[in-house]
Parts: sequence; C-alpha cells; structure tokens
Amino acid sequence: MVGKKRLGKSRIWISTLLTLVLLVLGACSNQTASSGEGEPIKIGAILSFSGNFAPLSESIKAGMELYFEQNGNKIGNRPVTVKYEDDEANPQVALRKYRQLVDSEKVDLLVGPISSSVVYALRDVIEKDKIVLIVANAAANDISWDKKSDYIYRVSISNWQDGTPGAAYIANNIGKKAYVLAPDYPAGHETIEAFKAAFVAAGGEIVKEAWPKLGNNDYATYLTDIQQTKPDLVFPFLAGTDAIRFVQQYEQFGLKGKIPLTGTQEFLDPLVTDPAGQAAEGIIGATMYTAALDNATNKAFVEAFTKKYGKTPNYFNVQGYDSAQVIAKAVEKAGSVKSEDLTKVLKDIAFSSPRGELAMDPMTHNLTLDMYLAKNVWKDGKIVQEIMGDAMKGLKIPETPPAKSK
Amino acid sequence: MATSILFMHILNGLAYGMLLFMIAAGLSIIFGLMNIVNLAHGAFYLGGVYIAYSLVQQNLGFWLAMIASIVLVAGLGVLMERFLLERVYGKELEQVLLTFGLSFIFADLVKWIWGTSPLALPVPSSLDVSLDMGGTMFPAYRLFVILVGCLLAVLLWYMENKTRIGAIIRAGVDDRQMLSALGINIKVVFTSIFAVGAALAGLSGVLGGPIMGMYVGIDSEILVSSLVIVVVGGLGTWKGAFIGAILVGLVDTLGRVWFPSLTMAMVFVIMIIVLLIKPNGLFGRGAHA
Repeated sequence: MVGKKRLGKSRIWISTLLTLVLLVLGACSNQTASSGEGEPIKIGAILSFSGNFAPLSESIKAGMELYFEQNGNKIGNRPVTVKYEDDEANPQVALRKYRQLVDSEKVDLLVGPISSSVVYALRDVIEKDKIVLIVANAAANDISWDKKSDYIYRVSISNWQDGTPGAAYIANNIGKKAYVLAPDYPAGHETIEAFKAAFVAAGGEIVKEAWPKLGNNDYATYLTDIQQTKPDLVFPFLAGTDAIRFVQQYEQFGLKGKIPLTGTQEFLDPLVTDPAGQAAEGIIGATMYTAALDNATNKAFVEAFTKKYGKTPNYFNVQGYDSAQVIAKAVEKAGSVKSEDLTKVLKDIAFSSPRGELAMDPMTHNLTLDMYLAKNVWKDGKIVQEIMGDAMKGLKIPETPPAKSK
Repeated sequence: MATSILFMHILNGLAYGMLLFMIAAGLSIIFGLMNIVNLAHGAFYLGGVYIAYSLVQQNLGFWLAMIASIVLVAGLGVLMERFLLERVYGKELEQVLLTFGLSFIFADLVKWIWGTSPLALPVPSSLDVSLDMGGTMFPAYRLFVILVGCLLAVLLWYMENKTRIGAIIRAGVDDRQMLSALGINIKVVFTSIFAVGAALAGLSGVLGGPIMGMYVGIDSEILVSSLVIVVVGGLGTWKGAFIGAILVGLVDTLGRVWFPSLTMAMVFVIMIIVLLIKPNGLFGRGAHA
C-alpha cells in the first residue's frame, strides 16, 4: 500500500515537472521567434550516427557546421537551425525520423542520407510531401535515373562516377588483367559494374570478381585468392574500416609492391589512409577531392577546417560543406524556402566547391564532376595524396542506365 | 586448387578460429558455471582493442599495451560482476536485460571516448613480416595468433583437468549448490572466473585488432559467432569452445572460398546438425535445470 501511494505521489511530481519544463520550453521558443531576426530556417539532417557509417556522418556534420559557422549561422538575415537525426542506416527508422522532422519539427528542407537503401525509402514519401532533399552521400545511381525526383538533388557523387574515371588510366598504364573486389550490396555492384564497363572499353579484362559480404571482418581468404590468381592489378571498392583492413592486410600478405593496388576514391581519402598508415602507400585511383587541390575555395576551406578541427579534411567533410553551401545559395537565390521555388534554382545551381567550380546537371539532378588521378605517397611520417593529373573533366552520370556489360 | 593454397586457407581459418576461441572460452565457462548469458561479453573485446590502441599511441609498445589492456579489462570484469551481475544471479530475464543494456552502454562509452573515426591497431613491428610458404606469402602475425591460441588451449585444458581450480569449476558446472555446501567460497570463484573470461576476451580484442579491425559494432558481430560456438561446443568446457571455434573458423573461411554467398548460413547449418545429433553440444556436460 505504502509503495503504491508513493508511486502515485511521484507520478504527480513527475508530471508537474514535465509540465513545467514544457511551459519553460514553450516560453523560450516564443522568445526566439519574436526576436525580430526573421523566421529561422529549419533543416533536418538524416544521417547514420550509429554503426559502420558513423564516421561518414560525423564528417558530413563537421563540414556542414563549418559552413554555417563561417556564415554566422544565417542564410540572408534568417537564422539557421539544423536538427540531426540518426537513422541507424535502416530505412524503417529513417522513415520514422523523417515523419518526426517533417510533421513535428516542421523542417523546411532535408539533408542526408548516407545509405542508398534509405534514400530509396525516403524518395517516395518525399514525392508525396514535396519537400526538398539534398543528398549528402547516398550514391545509388537510380536516384539519377528511374527513381529521379523533382525534389531530390545530389551534391555528393554517384556510384557510376566513382567506378568509371580511373579505369582508362589503369588499363593503359598499370595492367590489363584486373581482380575486382567489392561488398555484396547494391553500391558495390554498381561501382564495379561502372569500372568494368570502362576498363573493358579501354582494352582491359576482369580476371576475377570477389564479393565479400558488407562489413566482412577479415580479407585473408581473398588475399590468398589474389596470390593464386596473380592478376596485373587489384581494384577494390570498400569503405571505412573495411577499406582500412583490406589495405593493411594487403601488405601483411606480402602483396604490396608486388601486385599494384588501385581503387575508388575511398582509398585516396584521409578517413582511410590516415589509420591505414604506410600500407596505403602507392595506391593509385581517381578522386573528386583531395586537400591538395589547387583552387582558392579549397585553400580557404582547408585552412578554416584545419583551424577548427585540427586535421586534414576528407571528402565527406566537403560533401557536408557543399550541402550547407548549396542550401544557402538556393534559399538566397529563390528568396524563399518553399519547395516549388527551391527546385527551380536547384536544377542547375552552380557553386564554388573545394572540389572546384561545380554545377548541377538538370537532366540527372547530380553534379558534373572533375575527377583527378591521385596517388598515396608517404611524406613526413604520414600518407598524403598527390595529384597526378586529370582523370576525366566534366564527368556526368549518363542520363539513362548504360547497357550492362558482360 | 593447389595444396599450398588450401593450406593457406586453412591457416587463415585457424587464426580466425583462435580469436573466436579466446572469446568463446570465457563466454562458455561463465555461462556453464554461473548460468549467465553475458551479452556484454563483446564489450570486453572492444575494451581490449581500444585500450590497447590508446596505450600504443602513448608509445608503450604493443606487448606492454597488450598486458596493461588485459589487466584493465579483467578489472572491468570484476567491477561488473561485483556490483551489477551479483544482484541478478538466478534471475534470467533480468540478466539478459542487464547485460544487453550494458553492451549498449559500453558501445556508447567507446564512441564517447574514442570517437567514431575509424582507427587501426598496427601489427607489432617484430611480427610485421610475411613468410614465404611454398610460393605464397603468409603474415607471421597470424601464425603467432594460432600459436597463442593453441598454447592457451593447452594451458586451460591443464587447468581444467589437472588442478584444484579446474575441479572446482567442473564441480560447479555440474552442481553449484553442492559445491557451496562443501565449503567452497563460490563468490570468489565466480568473480575470478568472470575476470578470467573478461581477460581472455580482452586478449582476443588486442590480438584480433590488427586482423578484424576496431569499430563499434564488432562486439555484437563477434558475440553472435561466439554464441554459436558455445552452442556447438557445449556449455562450460574449454575443450568445447576450442573445437567449436576451430570448426566455425574453418567453415567460415573455407565457405567464403567455395560458397561465398552461403557462408553465414553454413555456420548455422553446422549448429543445427550438431544440435540434432547432440543437443548438449559436442562436449556439453548435460543440461541444467
């Protein structure tokens, strides 16, 4: 009896407290709204802060925060607030967070996601709610093809653009017989498919394809297989910790320096090469960004980034920075946050990225990118990326899916 | 397939199996003796590798870092057993909730302390060579891991079968009440066994860091494999964990070579077959009431 009574009392106490908190919060938000600066612009960011994609999400967030901070956390004279949500790389969770952001928080526009399966899940509700989404990472090709939406614009890169640009150089200068390896999920297949088409077109041949599962712990099996297959070169597509382990184990199995290692831009990015260390030396591939790019925007970006975070920016930082930048430019140019106004300017929006002068391709809602050939070199106890030249200038994703190569 | 390549794949499987063995051994004996499914056991693996990473960054050297990390993880195990698990002995549901919750807390702690940027624990420089084995190269470090695993297995087997502590553990797995009735301080036994289990998982973390990588999430992946091993090998025996781990390691590795898309399924198929033939696992000591 006593326990019950107490429980009743504490329940009343808690609800009183809660009411109080709500009241105080309500008063506060009224205050900011009436402070005369113009209505705040609310941005909802759906990223994957737990699981394997966490480092990518944190990097994108850091890039976005840097841009808004540099601009006084304002677009025009309106303050900006960004609400970050964790989708756990799970489409169902993402949809829930989406509802929360759109229905309760009433965000004006969205940024995200990391995972392609999430972008597909969001795509249909976005079409219905007519809310703009700036894609900060998800690379699924189909978002530029069959699943293209008037409300979705990608400022990162498509899988097709990640797999294609290095292939010709590799076939002409490194070797004709390639061993390819990628995780067995859509992004892996799309990227390798793109590489294969370009590599075969340049006279190369794929001698073997390996498809480890996503988040494969140990690459020993494949490295042993590579020793047996003896290709001219290896072209992997892997991300995050997978890429780091692959690079390190490539050296441990005595393959480094024996069979040239190439790869997608993931292998030419500090997120992977810093922890991988000297094992990453000598990897060649094509990338859309390295901190060494010679343009004014990049110099200012690298300086500001290094000052704020104390490390070299990676390309996910740039994707975050550019997402924020594109939102700011679009809102300023459209003079509104209404989707119908924003989509008009987003279609062909041009901006100065640390990657260079970039523009949206109105046919695919995907950026036209300059891709650079880069190489990991060991300098002063650290891996840095050295630019060897252009891989492909003005690379657009095709307007329709290319015919599948055999 | 050339025999030398097959041999190489088997070595890979063994190295992976040994890492699993070190985790599963602790899990199995804690499960068998204390009747606790410690779903936070993966956290000890995580703790092992991350603490070692920080110590290596402090230029402590791999080996010192390894020892310090194992001691710290064992200490963590003692704290966990003394202050938390002790309260829920005999209450299965509470145990599951508690240890499951702890695994989240530990994972978030790791994120909070070390951040989410991918890190890597380097192979100790003395073992950072690859050996030429009949035309194919194999990392010396992995041979070392296999060696450590085998030595541990012998050591644990000796402890289990030839020492008083082993006798106490075997007796405890069979009948706990009787054991305490005989005047054995069961509390001390539980705490020490829990510490040893934690230390083994920590060791697995440090040794596994350069092979399996370090990231939040590996704790739960490795826990699933370890639970399979416990089921296959049987509860409460080092031998079961050893044979089970080798089996899972080999099936996983060779499965990737021959049936890449069925790897995970094959591991579970083995589990089902074992359960059908021997419901208590290969070396199980009989079911508990």
